[in-house]
Amino acid sequence: MSAASLAGAASALVGAMLVQREVEAFLYREAELLDDWRLEEWLDLFTEDCRYDVPAPDRPRGAANQTFSLIHDGRTMLEQRVIRLKKPTAHAEFPHSRTRRMITNVRVEDSGSGWLDAKANFAIHRYRNWTHVLFVGEYSYRLVRAEGGGLKISYRRATLDLEALNPEGKVSIII
Amino acid sequence: MSRFVEEDRATTTFRVNREVFTSPEILELERQLIFDKTWIFVGHTSEIPASNSFLLRRVAGRPVIFVRDVNGHVQVLLNACRHRGAEVCRVPSGEAKTFTCFYHGWAYRNTGDLVHLPDATAYGPGFDRSRMGLSKPPHVDEYRGFVFANFDPDAGGLEDYLADSRYLLDLIADQSQTGMRVVPGVHSYWMNANWKLLMENSCDGYHAVTVHQTYFEMMMNLGVRPGLAPPADPSAPKTRGAGIDLRNGHATTMSWPGRAGALALLTSDHARQMYAGRQADLARRLDLRQVEKMVNTARNTSYFPNFVTVDLTFGIQLRTMWPTAPDTTEITGWLITDPELDDELQEARLDNALTFWGPGGLATPDDVEALEQCQRGFAVRRESPWSDLSKGLGREVPDMADELPQRAFWREWNRRMCGEELPYEGTPYAEVAALPVYVSASAS
Repeated sequence: MSAASLAGAASALVGAMLVQREVEAFLYREAELLDDWRLEEWLDLFTEDCRYDVPAPDRPRGAANQTFSLIHDGRTMLEQRVIRLKKPTAHAEFPHSRTRRMITNVRVEDSGSGWLDAKANFAIHRYRNWTHVLFVGEYSYRLVRAEGGGLKISYRRATLDLEALNPEGKVSIII
Repeated sequence: MSRFVEEDRATTTFRVNREVFTSPEILELERQLIFDKTWIFVGHTSEIPASNSFLLRRVAGRPVIFVRDVNGHVQVLLNACRHRGAEVCRVPSGEAKTFTCFYHGWAYRNTGDLVHLPDATAYGPGFDRSRMGLSKPPHVDEYRGFVFANFDPDAGGLEDYLADSRYLLDLIADQSQTGMRVVPGVHSYWMNANWKLLMENSCDGYHAVTVHQTYFEMMMNLGVRPGLAPPADPSAPKTRGAGIDLRNGHATTMSWPGRAGALALLTSDHARQMYAGRQADLARRLDLRQVEKMVNTARNTSYFPNFVTVDLTFGIQLRTMWPTAPDTTEITGWLITDPELDDELQEARLDNALTFWGPGGLATPDDVEALEQCQRGFAVRRESPWSDLSKGLGREVPDMADELPQRAFWREWNRRMCGEELPYEGTPYAEVAALPVYVSASAS
């Protein structure tokens, strides 16, 4: 291998590592905002044409516009979900659940043209009413470059591994 | 008088002892006297559209295979091998002509017949394999696509059992010319509360404003006015709709057209046009009174003991529940729709429905929270033993926010559990449905 191609490969590798690191930091930051219930700041991570999906557990690959999903929010409904969750009259989340998110196995695919696809595994521990619930599954993201160079979420899907929402059925937190 | 359900028409009081929500002995009796004796919803025929299609389900606690057999007939097979009892089908859904138990290889046709057993020559001449097919509930019947099973060999017929609730199933079934269809995707979730609390909650107009305040605020944020305010017309009824006892423990709440029914998120002229177009399509082939009820009223209907249909103008949900313990309930929710709607309207209705319903909706989690809080509160049942369900008792036509549906449920529960008959309440469906209010200006 020539010195030039070696330098090129090294540069590509460093670039990929930087992107990997950037996406991981982004996801950890997102998890922190959610665990801290800083939902307005979390909403700022999304583009204006974003989508947040949680498929029905029995149809993890179902087309979201043709299945009875758990959640299929566009930007408007995502905003309304956040507004609702901040109210004391959102009874299912008042008082708020305590949550702790473990985000791992981050895989990034850089399209090289302004957007990235990322996958990650999650385990969300939720405590409320002296009950512990564990939501386990996989995230799929499409991240785009925002003005100023940072990342924004244009698509976010949380696919649950649970076969049914057992023992507790409320997906009232953001998962 | 029963220990658990007390009704006094003179003082217009109705109350239920909270022990019915906490006692394991009562749950066991419910299994014997209610779930083993009544017609239990299994599924909709659209879920098994073609011969050999099947899905697994739990019906009155039993694992069943809901299958359309090789001859095209709907079958409900108990999913337990006649040999040693193992479940013979272990995939949640699919297509199969036979179900083979993997333990010793006994194989059954999807009609239930035993067609193969390994080493068959080892069985003596008295072994009659024709009597060794998969067991079935003694009665399975269908009403307009809704399939029910009854585990009581002496049970009466389904249509008699459904009584006036058939009218409410008609209002769903008639929405499609080609047959209503269950949408893929099941909401399967648990709650830590007694199953009967969800039956009470599923047609409870009283809780809507308090429990679902944030949902209505969301609608208003999007510029949609929920139909909750009193009508401007002074001659219009002061109530929001009717609570109707459909007999045999079934009941419904049906809003007056446009009142409390306007829950759809019609955020654009286009959406409004789509909804109006659907109404016009239905009016071409159906009686206007029927169309007005179908598209312009909210109807929450409970079918004793554990089946619910909810049509809130933006979509129709089917729901069943099964008690795994006095304080734990397994809930299943489906959406059913007219497959002939155009894609855009279909998608808008689907979106709207899951914005409201299900574990991730903006409404259902608050219902579940309320019921779980009730269950927690029952820890004080010795000091505070009674739940009150008196609202609207004695009205000629109870309001949809009165507690008539709950009382209808409890009277039937009481009859089956305690042998006590309590009198019918309110005005029958046929009379309420004929009121002039059910043909509004929009339909006439």
